Amino acid sequence: MADQDGTGVQVQDAGGQARSGAARAYPVIDAIRAGQEVDAMVHDAVLREDAVLRVDGFRLYYGDSQALYDVSMPVPRGRVTAIIGPSGCGKSTLLRSVNRLNDLIPSVRVEGDMLLNGESVYAPDVDVIELRKRLGMVFQKPNPFPMSIFENVIYPLRIDGERNKRVLAEACERALKGAALWDEVKDRLKDSALGLSGGQQQRLCIARAIVADPEVLLLDEPCSALDPVATLKIEQLIHEISARYTVLIVTHNMQQAARVSDFTSFMYLGRLVEFGPTAELFQRPRLAETEDYVTGRFG
Amino acid sequence: MSRAADPSQTTTPPDPGSGQERAAPQPVRKRPPTPLDARGESMVWLTGGALTLALALIIGLILIIVVNGTRTFWPDPVQRVELASGEVFAGVEMSSEPDPDEGTRTLYRVGNRDIQRDTFRWVPDAEVVSAAPGAGLVMVDRLEWGVWLGKLESVAENGETVWSWGDDWSGFQRLLSDAAKRRAEIEKLAQDDLGSVNAQLEASRLRVKAAEIAASERIVATGMPFVAWVSALLVGAAGLFVAVRGVGGLAGRSATPIVRVAFGAVASVAVLAAGLEHPWAGEQMSPERLEAIAEREMEVQSSLGDRASAIEGEIRQLRAADESVRVALTDATGEQRAIDRRSSGDLSPPLSQVVRVARRNDAGLAHAVGVYFDRWWEYLSQPPRESNTDGGVMPVIFGTVLLTLLLCIAVVPLGVIAAVYLREYAKQGTVTSLVRIAVNNLAGVPSIVYGVFGLGFFCYTVGGYIDQGPENPMARFGAGGWWPLAVLVAILAPAGAAAVVLSRPAPGQRLSRREKLFRNLGVLLWGAVVAGAFVLIARTPYFGGLFEAQLPTPTFGGRGLLWASLTLALLTLPVVIVATEEAISAVPGSMREGSYGCGASKWQTIRRIVLPASGPGVMTGAILAMARGAGEVAPLMIVGAVKSAPDLPISGHWPFVHLERSFMHLGFHIYDLGFQSPDSEAARPMLWTTTLLLLTIVLTLNLVAIVVRARLRAKLHSGGGV
Repeated sequence: MADQDGTGVQVQDAGGQARSGAARAYPVIDAIRAGQEVDAMVHDAVLREDAVLRVDGFRLYYGDSQALYDVSMPVPRGRVTAIIGPSGCGKSTLLRSVNRLNDLIPSVRVEGDMLLNGESVYAPDVDVIELRKRLGMVFQKPNPFPMSIFENVIYPLRIDGERNKRVLAEACERALKGAALWDEVKDRLKDSALGLSGGQQQRLCIARAIVADPEVLLLDEPCSALDPVATLKIEQLIHEISARYTVLIVTHNMQQAARVSDFTSFMYLGRLVEFGPTAELFQRPRLAETEDYVTGRFG
Repeated sequence: MSRAADPSQTTTPPDPGSGQERAAPQPVRKRPPTPLDARGESMVWLTGGALTLALALIIGLILIIVVNGTRTFWPDPVQRVELASGEVFAGVEMSSEPDPDEGTRTLYRVGNRDIQRDTFRWVPDAEVVSAAPGAGLVMVDRLEWGVWLGKLESVAENGETVWSWGDDWSGFQRLLSDAAKRRAEIEKLAQDDLGSVNAQLEASRLRVKAAEIAASERIVATGMPFVAWVSALLVGAAGLFVAVRGVGGLAGRSATPIVRVAFGAVASVAVLAAGLEHPWAGEQMSPERLEAIAEREMEVQSSLGDRASAIEGEIRQLRAADESVRVALTDATGEQRAIDRRSSGDLSPPLSQVVRVARRNDAGLAHAVGVYFDRWWEYLSQPPRESNTDGGVMPVIFGTVLLTLLLCIAVVPLGVIAAVYLREYAKQGTVTSLVRIAVNNLAGVPSIVYGVFGLGFFCYTVGGYIDQGPENPMARFGAGGWWPLAVLVAILAPAGAAAVVLSRPAPGQRLSRREKLFRNLGVLLWGAVVAGAFVLIARTPYFGGLFEAQLPTPTFGGRGLLWASLTLALLTLPVVIVATEEAISAVPGSMREGSYGCGASKWQTIRRIVLPASGPGVMTGAILAMARGAGEVAPLMIVGAVKSAPDLPISGHWPFVHLERSFMHLGFHIYDLGFQSPDSEAARPMLWTTTLLLLTIVLTLNLVAIVVRARLRAKLHSGGGV
């Protein structure tokens, strides 16, 4: 396939193309490899949605190496948007750029911006602390804090200075119910959170992420460290949560993306390749690359 | 056996020509004989043996200390020793060894220091005619002159015998406890009542002296006009309000911190001026006022003097009553008797001189056990006597434990804060690595060096400053004056804050050259501010010392408990820093990220996630610091431990805690007993016991800390999760 590049990029409709086995042409990927700029294939259905978060020409560098290339994508309000792609394609980096966790890495430099409900994320006068309070985040590995279950859940409120015990107790119960964990832990809220099972810990982290009513819930491969049963529970939970919150989820499990998300974006080598409604992306992708990736023939 | 020597065992290399035709099956290669180090686990003997040797040494050491330390107080029978020369004496057998000349010789403890020169005596066994526990021979522990070994004849009150040997023993016990009560009463009057009066007398004297100093010394402050003072106060209040509450939109969002610091600086200068140069500051103490004070204190002192002489009269009375009861002690032959050395005549000593009588020869095992525990109790609850060779070690335990606690209080917060900076805030680079190496190396500096530093810095420099103020205070105004420097510092502080704010890069960007410049400028300015503030404090003309009246006797300007514990804190700081740093770096980064993801600031993350999670590690550091600090001797000899400190660092007189006092310490006590004692043979048993006690205390402190750590760990990981 390497000898078919250099012909310029023609975005073709992969849906109608005949399947030609191993020797298929990947015009977009080849163009990327050749160092050309490519435009992402964003479906119209996405653009029609009301965007809560708008990524705008976002580029990110780790020192001298570029990790994200001109990513622009809207995140539809009140929907679950999945980001898929092979390892190292920048999907986690993009997610962590939304709440500026990448600021913690000294060598990171960014260009472009994101708009969260119309407000800039990367403007110089943005208070990062306030920004992060507007977002909730769940990580790959469950990371409960070394404190009680109760304290874990209300941590975002505690650091916000909330002292009223009743408010805290109510928020804790609401969040734990929202994370489908209340019935399992309601009798041992004072116990250490580190004593919970992995799946419970991850649901606890979800409770912690939603306790302060985030504008967007960021999930960074939330099931990658869990067994199939716990994964199923989390997926159900994501489905329930999506009724109330906008969810942006990174996953490298395509079945999971297909099961839980309304929209799916496919990233490759730091670029957004295709972004559309999940059903369409999985059944009638417009690019050959996407089709072969979601069917497991490429990656 | 080499493989080349036996061709049948070697593999034939395939012929390069025939290799293409067919692949001949590889013949099974004969293995060389198994080497020795692959056979079994031979090294288990070496490694296990090394461990066994180490354990045997340690257990042996502990066993020797425990055995010798616990038998010190056991009352051995008193032997009646008859020599070939016809001499008879009472002695307690201590040890036996080959005589340098011939045969063997035995060491007897013979006591009775008031009538003979040696309290221990080597006797060649050949000269001994008989040696057996003699009936009627007792060992008497006395307050002075060490033990008496011999006979307890009788007790007389005003010359009349009220008890004699052979009478009911409980009668003597009653007399002895009466005498002890009288002694305690005298002691209480002399220590507490008279001590309190003396303390008040001293305080009154100091008040007069302080007034004299205030009247004679040139007053530094001139005092500002009332109007200026009020406006300074107002400016200070307004400035503080702005500094604390902030003013929105005064100079844009990012400039707000600068504005706050600027207002804070102006406010602090105004408040400083209002406090130091208030309108009444310039008034010198008038001679009339000084006279009035002197007169008043004179009255106080005379009434206190009356009380003192009343108490002294009471003590004299009690002492007379006490001395009316006397005890007759004679040696084994009954020829020589103990004499009250304080009286001019040849009277027997008062009964209250007797602490206890061990009559092992005539009483059963129960009596011996009773004496044993009585001696332990005295050891743990009483101060030492007889230049530390007898009595107890209560002040020593007290000093050691207090020192260790103070050391902990000082070193743990400082070490933790330093470690947090090194791990969480400092940029991990060459400089940080160098600092870390330097801190580790600090742990290897000989402790005596810390002692000398502590004496020079804490005792003389800091302590001297507290006692008498700066040695050469600055002028108030003019070039190089104190107030110009204060104003300069107040200007530099907001400038530094501004530089720091301007050096912050836009989010997601690296430092530009301009921002780097500002960063360096900020560091420079803040360094100047800190240095300036230090000079302001160190050379202020407004501070004349807290204990000027006591001079030339130093209060904090000498060796004392506070400086000793700070010196030890410095000594153990690297231990705490290293342990804390390790604990902090063991906190998983995912926890920190989780906290930041929740919108926590860096400090909130450190305070609520990192520090609690590294609690057990911090405890480990504290344990190591305590163990090292409690056992240290060399620096303590320089900065405050003394052979004998009659006053505890805690007392019933204001201010109750006297951290400036020198103190006794178990490590130093052991050194003193072992090498500085006038009677090294008598001190030896106490040496063992004191060593045992030091080990026990260090072990107990460690055990407590370990239990606390285990509970912390259990709290963090209850349920045995991750």
